[in-house]
Amino acid sequence: MIDRPSGSVIIRRTASLLVSLVQLFALYVLFFGQYGPGGGFVAGVMIAASLVFGLLVFGEDSATSQRATRLLAADGVGLLLFVAVGGLCLIGGGEFLNYSEAPIPGLDSAARRYLGILMTQIGVAMDVAVAAVSIVFSLSRSVATEETDA
Amino acid sequence: MTEHLPALVFLTPLATAISMPVAGHRRPAVCRPIALIAICCMTVLSVASLWSVSVHGEVRYSFSGWLPPIGIEWLADSLAATMVTAVSGLGVLCLLFADGLGERPLGGRAVPYYTMVLLLVAGLSGAIYAGDLFNIFVFLEVVSLSAYALVAVPGGRALVSAFRYLLMGALGTAFYLLGVGYFYAATGALNIADLSQRLPGLLDSKAVMGGLIFMFIGLAIKMALMPLHGWLPDAYSDAPAATVPLLAGLVTKISLLVWARILYWVMAPSAEGGTLTIFALVTTFGILASVAGACLALRQRELKRMFAYGGISHVGLVLIGVGQANETGLAGAMYYLLNDAVMQCSLFVLAGFLALRYGASTLDELARAHVRNPWAIVTFVAVGLGMVGLPPTGGFFGKLRILLGTLEADNNIAAAAVVLTTLITLGYFAQVFEKLVRSGSESASADQTETPWPLRATMAALVAAIVGLGIWNDQIVALLVDATAPLGI
Repeated sequence: MIDRPSGSVIIRRTASLLVSLVQLFALYVLFFGQYGPGGGFVAGVMIAASLVFGLLVFGEDSATSQRATRLLAADGVGLLLFVAVGGLCLIGGGEFLNYSEAPIPGLDSAARRYLGILMTQIGVAMDVAVAAVSIVFSLSRSVATEETDA
Repeated sequence: MTEHLPALVFLTPLATAISMPVAGHRRPAVCRPIALIAICCMTVLSVASLWSVSVHGEVRYSFSGWLPPIGIEWLADSLAATMVTAVSGLGVLCLLFADGLGERPLGGRAVPYYTMVLLLVAGLSGAIYAGDLFNIFVFLEVVSLSAYALVAVPGGRALVSAFRYLLMGALGTAFYLLGVGYFYAATGALNIADLSQRLPGLLDSKAVMGGLIFMFIGLAIKMALMPLHGWLPDAYSDAPAATVPLLAGLVTKISLLVWARILYWVMAPSAEGGTLTIFALVTTFGILASVAGACLALRQRELKRMFAYGGISHVGLVLIGVGQANETGLAGAMYYLLNDAVMQCSLFVLAGFLALRYGASTLDELARAHVRNPWAIVTFVAVGLGMVGLPPTGGFFGKLRILLGTLEADNNIAAAAVVLTTLITLGYFAQVFEKLVRSGSESASADQTETPWPLRATMAALVAAIVGLGIWNDQIVALLVDATAPLGI
């Protein structure tokens, strides 16, 4: 159950170390995804995994879990970012998501593509993270209601 | 500008859907007008797209500027443009109908509800436009997931129906995806135009044949083809009255359209003169579904279930047209598909109206209710004429063209099935009409309550669509033939 934080010192210390490390690595995967393995989806899953890990260890009332709960309000914001970048390309006269046409002054085509892909990947990461965390939350809530029923 | 229209038509409902949680966060009441405005904008854009396609020819839109077969392509030919116009137009009418019906307010649930409605419409337009088999899968999944959620809105018994729908629907999309996987393994291609060039010579391959059968089974579940229709009547009779017209009019039709695309745009070009055996299979299932569906409709005492079985039998009729492997049959089937979408929508608008206003959801209750509402009766007459297939409605010209297609292919059994279905359809509509008329004569007290304007507007527009499709049938079929002409069937 999520609402009972773990009492073990070892688990709590390891978790507090691991959560930030996993999140750091998620950021690396997100920004490096264009040149190597990784990308928005993987980064989003990693962020979600770190949040769920924190949730399991520290319980629902801790600071990490509060952060995760606040993240749920960002439902759809990631997709909005994705569509906004695509729409910017449409305004610039190119096809949807044709980053090189995005009307950003002072950048050449390659830099526009870099920025465009990065922004859409951040959008994807946000949405994947929110979706994964909300699955865990809804599961934990349904378990909680079942127990109070019984 | 006009070359971007297909993308804009799709993006309008999608962008609105995903901004709904933000927009309706504080005041859920704004969701309904926002959704209505978004689908109205989509309708305007899709009409513009239809006009541009009919003037300048088909548009192939490559997302992010990547050319197909590598990039994702949208195929906006006149068939797709017509269907998207129908989807968005019916979407507006369904939302108006929901406005006028005044069901129990959704309250805080309005945000997810309208998000799902908009996602459903966006998914439908995506599935129509998608130019490759995998993206068709993605959008079928978007449509189905929103449909499951929409069926489950009232809770209670609807949850069971929605869960059954979910199980069957998930099985259907899984089969479809499996079939796409087989095609990809055999050809290394997913793009429709690319596949049609690679398939000749591979037709004897077991992977291609197996893939085609898997896709057919998957789509047959989704379109509620006769032996696999079990989920549909329950889902439609338990879903909220405001939502069913949207589901009944559009969701099953999309799988039919996808199946026609696969048969004619992917498979038929590789047949080289001969016809594929799969067409005979499709015709057989079409005959079975049209006659048996109509017979089952005759047995129903509940209005919604009767109309649902009527829809199942019309799926069979469209498949008969699709299975004839000639242009008359295909164009007729696609034209009938359009009509069927409008007619199913109007039938469930009527059923929802009668149930909420008069409490009449079965035939016996209908006989006891005193339905004197002129709007409902005129709509019922129009849609009845359309379903049975009498001029000047679109249903008549659609059936006529399917019949001509079967005669052109010398398929007398299929022709007989079309006529037989028409007769049985007449049977069950006469039953409803008799109850409706008799209910009026028993009491002279006129209906006191005024019908709200959104309801009147919806019914008037639906009647206009049913008759208008019939009057301009030549022009519409000519548009659809434009799309099928390059196939050389």
